[in-house]
Amino acid sequence: MVTELPWDEETGTLRRDLAAGMMNPACKHAMEAALQLREKYGASITAITMGPPAAEEVLREALAMGADRAVLICDALLAGSDTYATSSILARAIQKEIPGCDLILCGAYTSDSETAQVGPQLAEELQVPSAAYAEHLEISGRTLRVRRLVDNFRETLEMECPALITVSMERYDPRYASFAGLNDAFAQTEISVLNAEALGITAAEREAYGSRTRVRRVFVRSAQKRNVVITGAAANAAAEFLDKYQRKISAVIGKSIETKKQAQT
Amino acid sequence: MKKKSIWVFGDYRNYYQNRVTLQLIARAVDLAREISAEVCAVVVGHDLEEWIWEYTSHGADRILAIDHPTLTSYSTEHYLILMERLVRERDPEIILIGATDFGREFAPRLAKRLKTGLSADCVGLDITPDGLLVQTAPSFGGNMLAEIVTEHHRPQMATVRPGTFREIPHDNTRTSVVERLPLPAHLPAPRVRLVEYERAAQKEHTIENATVMVCGGRGMGNKKNFKKLDELARLLDGDVGATRPVVFSGWAGHDALVGQAGKHIKPKILFSFGISGAIQHTAGLGEADFIVAINKNPQATMMKMADVAVVADAGDWLNHLIRELKKRIRE
Amino acid sequence: MQLNPSMKHKLIRASTRSFAEAELAPIAAEIDQQRIFPRDVIEKMRELNYFGLQTPKAYGGAELDSASSAIVVEELSRVCAAVGLCVTVHNGVAVYPFLRFASARQKKIYLPKLASGSAIGAFSLTEANAGSDAGSVETTAVRQGSNYILNGTKIFVTNGGICDVALIFALTSSPEHKLQSSVFIVESKYPGFLRGEREDLCGMRANPVSSLFFEDCPVPEENLLGKLGDGMKIGLATLDNGRLGVAAQALGIAQGAMETAVKYARERQQFKKPIASLQTIQNYIADMATEIMAARLLLYRACDLKDAGMPFGCEASMAKLYCSSVASRVSSLAVQIHGGYGYSKEYDVERYFRDARVTEIYEGTSEIQRMVIARAILSQSIL
Repeated sequence: MVTELPWDEETGTLRRDLAAGMMNPACKHAMEAALQLREKYGASITAITMGPPAAEEVLREALAMGADRAVLICDALLAGSDTYATSSILARAIQKEIPGCDLILCGAYTSDSETAQVGPQLAEELQVPSAAYAEHLEISGRTLRVRRLVDNFRETLEMECPALITVSMERYDPRYASFAGLNDAFAQTEISVLNAEALGITAAEREAYGSRTRVRRVFVRSAQKRNVVITGAAANAAAEFLDKYQRKISAVIGKSIETKKQAQT
Repeated sequence: MKKKSIWVFGDYRNYYQNRVTLQLIARAVDLAREISAEVCAVVVGHDLEEWIWEYTSHGADRILAIDHPTLTSYSTEHYLILMERLVRERDPEIILIGATDFGREFAPRLAKRLKTGLSADCVGLDITPDGLLVQTAPSFGGNMLAEIVTEHHRPQMATVRPGTFREIPHDNTRTSVVERLPLPAHLPAPRVRLVEYERAAQKEHTIENATVMVCGGRGMGNKKNFKKLDELARLLDGDVGATRPVVFSGWAGHDALVGQAGKHIKPKILFSFGISGAIQHTAGLGEADFIVAINKNPQATMMKMADVAVVADAGDWLNHLIRELKKRIRE
Repeated sequence: MQLNPSMKHKLIRASTRSFAEAELAPIAAEIDQQRIFPRDVIEKMRELNYFGLQTPKAYGGAELDSASSAIVVEELSRVCAAVGLCVTVHNGVAVYPFLRFASARQKKIYLPKLASGSAIGAFSLTEANAGSDAGSVETTAVRQGSNYILNGTKIFVTNGGICDVALIFALTSSPEHKLQSSVFIVESKYPGFLRGEREDLCGMRANPVSSLFFEDCPVPEENLLGKLGDGMKIGLATLDNGRLGVAAQALGIAQGAMETAVKYARERQQFKKPIASLQTIQNYIADMATEIMAARLLLYRACDLKDAGMPFGCEASMAKLYCSSVASRVSSLAVQIHGGYGYSKEYDVERYFRDARVTEIYEGTSEIQRMVIARAILSQSIL
């Protein structure tokens, strides 16, 4: 179980919507999938995340939901990592802390576009078979069967463990942690904290582990709309409107809207 | 010197995916002009003539096609192997991929194999004279935009949100260099086996997750006019929403109420017919990507919030829009 | 001095809030207007230990500290005060006396059921002629063989319509034939345990507050809580604890009302600008936020004292007095900020306004709280 944190590089704090809890909602679905697999097939679940010390909260929540162990990768050297760097570091931590793990689950695809890339890149880094957007998981022997919905195609895939799966938000609605679970998560379990040194990552290794992208500038999305005004007779205005915007509408609804030849003449 | 190349990955499995590929080809043509590069569409699969023709007529200078029965269904793994080889052979400057479900799984893995950077779900692409791709992507939950660059690694890669760019109109007099490449020998069997797949049924709409919303206010005049919004919503696979006065007038049920005391919507496209824009309604609009408002009063708040403000009688314009759409929509 | 919430307290708040917003927010207005007790949500809450907040693990509870318990009630009440009321009465005044005063046998029989929420608890002191004056209870319990026979009427019993176990205050006579009050553990299945109509109240309408009637209701003698004549002692100790819960509930109402008003003030345009930019509204918001913060710290201070095993009755009364008056003031200002819409049932804020009012009345009126506080202050030799 890998969680990805919404983390504000400017202030150095976790950005969190208290209403949604501490853990990224997508990761909660992955955690739920892990719990259900454990209930069905038996397993030990390790939750792992990378972030500032406050990221411990996310791991406590995972423990409260039912994780057996938790690992926090925390080092100022690693702050500001892009998905490329994050996936490299996570891979190294997984190889060190959970060698021989059978299945890695990550949250997939949220409305928040920051969170979709680490899972697939981690699969590459670990060189394991992988599938995104899983809605249902089954295991028989070493074979993992995945049902998923991609671009409106329903697919059933099979692969051998170890594998990496990103879990869709459509299924595996996460359970709430009980208060007893929350209490135990603080009382009973130690969280392993790894820094860059423990992972054997030095500043000199920026080429292998460093970020590939750089954020040049962050700015507020302009609220100012272009505000095109269309006037004139309603019949012409409707045609004029569609001439200008039918492609945009078509792209959204997935239906072709085209000006037919005879309509043009 | 070898000509620089901007690549667009041909994602074509359904209408939506095809559209974004064409949109990316259009943007690549603009970018290529700035750095004297060519636009190359890469398409992998089986029975690809339709796509080769389509990419050519929408602006690609070169098509790299690998057409083989083995590739009949989408396989992320096979596509990764083939793309990685092609990129290593030919060294493109830029690779653009649609931010479809497929693209957002495929692109991060390809970037990782190529040890290069990738930005996600871009809503803007620009290029500096020395060829640095400036990728504008939503950040911090979508409230902010970030300009992202990949300075020291090539190719520069981005996935791009569908609908961001406008495709170049179809022109079947255009030509391209088509390179039909063989399937490499010893293509390993994919570790992920596709057991079965089928096209999924359309997802059921609810107001809260509707991508298209058609909202109406008292400006629709009467209940009969208001009911015509249903027809527009049907044509656009959307849902109908209503303001408070409309619900109170009994033109629509309370379920359709959009606003502070009703549903909160976040459509990609919002049509707002005869709505003045009182806060009791607009507070429920979230961030609609594209707002079209129709109102007789150009000074109405809703008209000022709109991307497109149509000054007209809402009921009248609705009739014309429905008539015009029926001519143009191909299911 | 630690005034910042710990990581655990933050997580308990976040967890409760996400539950309340997902499960209660969509129904809060409807269950209020239709007077529906949301059994299916309560069912989910059972599994998450909402009914065993501070009950020891040995009995199936979560064994939370008092501040955690207050946070849970606050967060529930921020969204739906009527459900917050159900939880705080169950934990604060029905379960708590068991933890403090029950015999090992009574604990073993009742605590697991109460902690799992498979039995919902109620606490019943108030009668038609016994409100603030708890000594005027008229319900009687007369010894007959191995039973006590209960007769009388209790009113305004929170959870009354659904409770499985109720703690009933009744008059007993001492061996010296002196009248004194005692507390009995009464199961709703006992013959002669009758429920009255649900009260049609101004607020907290989703909670089945009702009367209970006892008509020759036999209660086994082993169901006497504490000793004969312990009624006043148990009552006072329980009310001290219950006040923490009502304070937390009032705080949640205030917080919810303020958030609603702040959101509205940002959105509502008058004079071509959001009303939040008007100084008058800003003054309201500043006062609301300041009072809520002060109320919260006062409550947590009382919780800390309780967990440290120190006397906390005076501080619990201060917290209850202040939190409830803040809830009333803040919810009233929140209605004011909403203008005419605030007076409409279409908006949540009027519900906060109605729910807030009773927090100044039940679990000891504000007048009683002042009496308790004044007595405590006056009895100290050095201030």
